[in-house]
Amino acid sequence: MTPSSDAPADRDITILLVEDDPPTLWRLNDALVGAGFDVVAAATLGEARASLETRAPRVLLTDLQLPDGHGIELIREMRRRSPDTEIMVISALGDEETVVSAITVGATGYILKDAFPTDIAATVRELVAGHSPISASIARFIVRRTQAHAEPPPGPELNTAKLTPREIDILWGIAKGFSYAEIADNLGMSRQTVPGHIKSIYRKLEVHTRGEAVFEAVQQGLIRL
Amino acid sequence: MTDEASKPAATGGLALRSRKGASRLVQYVLLQAVIAALCIVVLRLPLPEPPAQYRVVDFTLSDRDTTRTVALPDFLDTQFSVDEPAASYAGHFIWSTREAGRAWSVYLPRFTNGVAVLVNGVEILDSRRDPDANRPDRATPEIALIPASLLHDGSNDLVIRLYVWGPISGYLAPLFVGPDDALRPACETRTLIFVTLPMVFAAWRGILAVILAIMWAMRRHEPAYGALAAAMALGASQAFLQTTVDDPRHPHLNAALIASGPLESGFVLAFGILFFTRRWPRVLGALIFVPGMLLALIALFGTPQAVREYSVILGLPAVGVHLALLALIVAWSEIRRQDVPGLLLGCAVTIVLTSFVHDILSVAQIIPDHRLFFTRLSYSAMLVAIGAGLTWRFARALNRVDGFAAHLAIRLREAEEKLKASFAREQERERTAALARERTRLMRDLHDGLGGQLVSIVALSERGEAGGIGEAARAALKDLRLVIDSMDDIGGDLMLALGSWRDRVAAQLRPHNIALDWHAVPPGLPVYPELRPWHVIQIVRILDEAVTNAVKHAGAKRIAVSIETLKDDTGEPRGAITITDDGKGIAPADDAADGRRKTGRGLANMQNRAARCGAALDLISGSDGTRVRLKLPRRFPDGDAAAG
Repeated sequence: MTPSSDAPADRDITILLVEDDPPTLWRLNDALVGAGFDVVAAATLGEARASLETRAPRVLLTDLQLPDGHGIELIREMRRRSPDTEIMVISALGDEETVVSAITVGATGYILKDAFPTDIAATVRELVAGHSPISASIARFIVRRTQAHAEPPPGPELNTAKLTPREIDILWGIAKGFSYAEIADNLGMSRQTVPGHIKSIYRKLEVHTRGEAVFEAVQQGLIRL
Repeated sequence: MTDEASKPAATGGLALRSRKGASRLVQYVLLQAVIAALCIVVLRLPLPEPPAQYRVVDFTLSDRDTTRTVALPDFLDTQFSVDEPAASYAGHFIWSTREAGRAWSVYLPRFTNGVAVLVNGVEILDSRRDPDANRPDRATPEIALIPASLLHDGSNDLVIRLYVWGPISGYLAPLFVGPDDALRPACETRTLIFVTLPMVFAAWRGILAVILAIMWAMRRHEPAYGALAAAMALGASQAFLQTTVDDPRHPHLNAALIASGPLESGFVLAFGILFFTRRWPRVLGALIFVPGMLLALIALFGTPQAVREYSVILGLPAVGVHLALLALIVAWSEIRRQDVPGLLLGCAVTIVLTSFVHDILSVAQIIPDHRLFFTRLSYSAMLVAIGAGLTWRFARALNRVDGFAAHLAIRLREAEEKLKASFAREQERERTAALARERTRLMRDLHDGLGGQLVSIVALSERGEAGGIGEAARAALKDLRLVIDSMDDIGGDLMLALGSWRDRVAAQLRPHNIALDWHAVPPGLPVYPELRPWHVIQIVRILDEAVTNAVKHAGAKRIAVSIETLKDDTGEPRGAITITDDGKGIAPADDAADGRRKTGRGLANMQNRAARCGAALDLISGSDGTRVRLKLPRRFPDGDAAAG
């Protein structure tokens, strides 16, 4: 859980924070600045784009419901312009759908709005170190879509066909509250490889713009949120 | 009061019934009288005869030693054997050569028992070779062509040798000699009525015998069909068995034939008794068949002469008594309950009885006797009518069964649809009720947790105590997460709910620097298909309460959560969740009165929630820590007893 030695120092990590609710913005900003990160705050999509013109951040941390547009658009633009930027969404409660939607367009992490300041900083640090966070509810949400259902569950369309049985087993383990160590022991694999698998799962769930139809379909699904 | 009131009604009803019965009896008797009268009229209708000019009536009778002149018809009382002619009638007829182009015949409309015809000394006919003609009960006519070579101009000799072998006296009706085309139509008519028709009826009875026998075989509880089948079979075989001239050579055949009449009428009577009274009188019933059996015995072992005598003095009265009894039974049944088959049978019996009386009177020469017997003919027709009627009735019963089956199918479909509709209604009602219950629980859950916490936040903010607000708001958020989380379909896998809970607890404990030891033994907990969101909420609230106690009151540094499946006394797998902390214990050890009361209430709350889920909660608290163990039920209860 500790950042590895070759990881960049916190002050070298630039973060673009996009959040329209001032108290939440203050809170997140305080937590990140307090941890030593280089934070640029934006309250609207327009401000965020203006900031991107000058510099691409190492981490984009964005809310999805913004006054002048949808955070999904920003995530897409960011993926296109700067593939190396880590993207996180700010999640309220009970909105696994939103998080998974963001994952399908390229997000690899998320932060709970009410998370403790230390947790917020730790999550960003781990993401930069290559460890995507995943909660039991997100894992549950994804893994339930790998099951054959007579009628698809509500929410965004999720193409889980690319996930390997091992990855699905890992998701089940997380959903049921087993620790990475327990999962690794149970599946007969090294404990260190579990976070890598999770990152890989996020990448596989991302819908690349292979065709307009798929893209549009996903977008439709997201706009409905 | 009631006695007095009911008595006149009862007697009145009786009187009414007897009056009704009497009027029915009168009606019935009148109807039968009309039918008998009609029957007599029909019986007396003259049969077609050839032109009178060909009639030959004057004969010289040579009866053994005596010779006298007779005019036909003539009766001959003496009885002889089959081989020896009883008498010889000698007469004449005129033929002229002008008739040479036309064939001439001798036509004998009726005779008993046998005749031989000689024209100019040459025999041209011997009726004894025709089996049909040998039966006295069949009025078989005979016609014989006279070979042209035998005829000569003027008077020709005609000799009729009459053979008589009983049981009735010899008889020779007026005969005709003339052109064949003038005589034959009358002969054909008689053949049709007295020979062909009985055979047709007999064939018909044979078929009905088979049908009725099958019916009886399939419905053994209705012996009436069996009795009627026996009567039919007997009658049919009797019609096809032929009387031989020299009877002693076939005594069995002879016996069967002679006994068949009384036996057959016995079976018909048995049918009537079974069919109309539905009871069988054992002793009297056996008596019915006595005359027939006696006759059969006599025919087998007695002399031909005795057989003939007894068949008249025993057989005929037996048939008459059977018919009369049958008529009475049918009349009695018809008066008690009027129905069509009974009425038809009654009329048929009247016709047969009338014919029988007519035949007896005719043989006894009380009424003009033409030796034409109609009993068997009418009786055959009656049996055919009964058989056809029963078959018709059977077919109608089958139709009714079909109709009933169709009706039943319709009713069944209706009932099924009604049931379906009511089931759908019930299901809808059940669904609505379930939704309402779910909504109520959700409201209460929100109210219990979130509502209270929000009110605390409001109160704290109003007093300007910012410190407590954060804690209360966090608790509210946690509770909201719990409620939202529990709404998710986890397919009965409590582990999925506990997974989310672990994340929340880990986040809760991190600021307090309390370590969380999570120990889940794969595969974790059993799957509960009946698990509902409110069960999940109760269980997670219990666990939350335990963790909160450990953090707030026990001052624990380490909390261990252990999830495993244990075997209970009966070997059934039971889920168990254990939360252990290293704190200073709660309740008794807590010296603050307020805190004790609070934890006491918290404990009661936990017990209450566990009970609602059918789970068992046991808590051991000491100075070295607290252990809360929640043993999950084998099956989560469907209803919520405490929900009210």
